[in-house]
Parts: sequence; C-alpha cells; structure tokens
Amino acid sequence: MDLLLTLDTGAGFWNPVFWVLGAAVAGVIALLLYSLGEKGYKKGTAQEAPFLSGNPEPEKGLVHVRSGNLYWGFLDAMEGYYRRLVPLHTGDLHDYVLWYMGMTALFLVVVVVFR
Amino acid sequence: MTPAEIALLAAWCAALSLFALAGGLLLSGIDRKLAAHMQARIGPPIRQPFIDTVKLLQKENVVPANAIPWLFSAAPVVALVSSVLVLFYIPVASTMPVLGAYGDLVLVMYLLTVPALALVAGGFASGSPYATIGAQREMVTMIAYEFPLAIVVIGVAWRLGAAGISHPFALQSIAANPVWSVTGPLGLAGVFILLVVLAAITPAELSRIPFDTQEAETELAGGLLVEYSGRNLAMFTLAQAAKTLVLAAVIVAVFFPWNLSSFLAMPGLLAQAADLLFFLLKAVLVLFFAVTLVRVAMARFRINELVSFYWVYLSVIGLAGIVLLMADVVAGPLAGVGV
Repeated sequence: MDLLLTLDTGAGFWNPVFWVLGAAVAGVIALLLYSLGEKGYKKGTAQEAPFLSGNPEPEKGLVHVRSGNLYWGFLDAMEGYYRRLVPLHTGDLHDYVLWYMGMTALFLVVVVVFR
Repeated sequence: MTPAEIALLAAWCAALSLFALAGGLLLSGIDRKLAAHMQARIGPPIRQPFIDTVKLLQKENVVPANAIPWLFSAAPVVALVSSVLVLFYIPVASTMPVLGAYGDLVLVMYLLTVPALALVAGGFASGSPYATIGAQREMVTMIAYEFPLAIVVIGVAWRLGAAGISHPFALQSIAANPVWSVTGPLGLAGVFILLVVLAAITPAELSRIPFDTQEAETELAGGLLVEYSGRNLAMFTLAQAAKTLVLAAVIVAVFFPWNLSSFLAMPGLLAQAADLLFFLLKAVLVLFFAVTLVRVAMARFRINELVSFYWVYLSVIGLAGIVLLMADVVAGPLAGVGV
C-alpha cells in the first residue's frame, strides 16, 4: 500500500494517506480539548461588538482594510525595485513582446556561452 | 501494513500529540521565566502557561457580530492540529519520527505554514480592522521568511546528498548523519551560517519580538487575536506552544541530532529517558538563544524592515552559506574530507 501511495520525486517523498491519519488523530485530541472549554457567551450584548479600544464603531466601509494593502510591506521594503519595475509595465503589447524577445535572446546567448 | 500496525501508529501519534502540548507549554513557561530574570523580574512560575490555558478554557467564547462564525471557530482548531501534526515527522530524542517514512523535511517546511495560514484565516474572519491588519502582516511575514527557510533546508540536504547520503531530505537520514560530520572547514562555516539563518527565522515563525508585527499588542491591541477569547484563544495558545516545541525539534534534528545514549552505555529505558531529557535541554538552549535572548534584547521591526531583513540580508547570508558548502564539496577531495 505504501509503495503505491507514497509520492516520490526522487529526492523528496510524501504519503498523503498517513498525513490524513496523523491529522485525524491530532484532530480528535484537539476537538476533545475544545469540547472541554466553555461554549457560551452573552449573545446580543456589547460582548459581540468589535474591540476598537473603546471607540464607537464607524460605518463598516470606513474601517474596512482593503486587500490592496496585503503586500504593503513588500512594496515599501523593495521600493527601489518597484520604482524601476512598475514604469516598465506600460500596458502596450509591443513593449511586452520586445521584452520577451530580448530576454529570450539573452537566455539563448547565456545557454550557448555556458554549454 | 496491518490494522494492528496502523493502530500502533495512531497510538504513537496520540502520545506525541500530548507530548507536543505539554512540552510546548513547558518550553513557553521556561521562556517566560528566563526572560523575566533577564529583565530583573521574578516572573511567573514555569507552570503558568498550563494555568493560563485552563483558565482560558473556563472563559466565555465570544464570537463577534462582524465575524464569519464557522471560519472564526474552525481556524484555532486547524492551527492546533497542523502544529501538532508537524511533530509526527520530526525525530524526538532517540525516537525516530513516527511518520518519518511518509514525509520529509520539505513536507515539514510546508506544514509549518499551515498554522500561520490558519491564523490569517482567523484574523480575516474576525471582522475587526486590527485583526485584518494583523492578518495582512502575517501573510507578508510568512512570505518573507519562507525563502531563507528554503535556503537552509535545501543547503543542508544538498550537502548531505553530495556526501553520498541516501534520501538527504528524510529527517531520519539528517538525524543519523549530522551535517557537521560530513563537511570540511569551509563546510563547517557554511553549516554554521545556515544554523544562524534558521535561528533568525524561528522568532518570526513563533510571532515573537522582533518579528511580532502581526500581533503587536501596543500597536494593534493583539492584532490577529484581538477578537479571540475563551476556548478559541486557548486553541491558538496551545498551537503556539506546540509550534514552539516543533521548531526547537527541527533545529535540534537538523543541527544537533546527537543523543546521550550514543556516548554513554545505558540500559534501554534509562537511555530513552536520558535522551528525552537531553533533547529537552537542547530545545531549551536553542530557544534561549533564538527566541528569549533576542526578544529581551530587541525592539519590534516595522513590517517593511522585516521584509528587507529576510529577503535581502538573511537570504544573502544564507546563499553565502550555500556557496561555502559548494566550495567545501569542491575542496573536500583535495583535503581528503567531507565526501
């Protein structure tokens, strides 16, 4: 059974069946512990309001964090890189084809030189 | 494999799960105590994380009105299960990994991302701007440290493979053939650099200072976990504890796999007990230098500084380590060592 189900890349290997078995055992223990905890709370009270350091909740649209901020850390940390990279994305297909051909030519030269 | 063997495997997994939880909470307690002493405080007793967890289980489990309830409640359980699961693939003391024949270090690397993804899912499901910002920062942090982590994993396995070790990504092979023992002087420097890189990744994996931007109590009021309470928060606390033990076990397995029983002749059970104590000692030392000392000595990085740190500085340092390992393979036959 193992030989049939273990995924082997030649270097790495993984058997999803035993992964599921391990997850099931850990899951049972986790759920047992979870079931030991207190289940309830006072529904419909201020407990359910979001914690905003005591401030009243503004309209939801105003406090919604947009997904565009997801990569803010990267954009800010590698600002120098993006400052050069973004202007290259002109939206003109001719530019992209030129880049594609130029890079392909470069790779061909590299492959020929290092063969 | 027979049903009896599968049942035995499941029993081992259950025992390891309990060990992951207890050991993780113990290591967290030691970390808090050591940090307190370094700050000239008495600090909480070592058993404090156990007390905290029990107390959390007794508290009300509030689900905020803005939350997505099923995802909000499922995320902590998924985080705990995935944190514990990693330990099944890692050797603990002289015990080889329970599922070691069914997954390798690359799998461990990927499994380590699952608890973080569960945290992110829980944060986004909280419906709180603090938690959303925390979740976004966690995503960025995770993407930032994955590359240097991959450098360490591939560097160690590649060097073992170059030394003729079969299945170099398997943790049994890595533990049975310490990477230090197959390298020459250049390789030793390379391995040491990779150890430093992995130690620098550990606080980020554990969301500890200086890489706790996603929780950042003073800034985001708890960030990802701001809306969590009761048993949901207890699950995240246990997941964090298990992950602490898991990360220590990974560093020990890859870089310090020696056991006392290899050096001292002891009867079977005593040898296993001694190896287990020695493993815990190694885990405490690893966490002291990688987590406790760092979090006491440093302030929090901003998220953009964190990305620069991992993607630029640490990646370059890690690649330098790999270059040294490659140079070691080239120089090895000349010096008569390492291959």
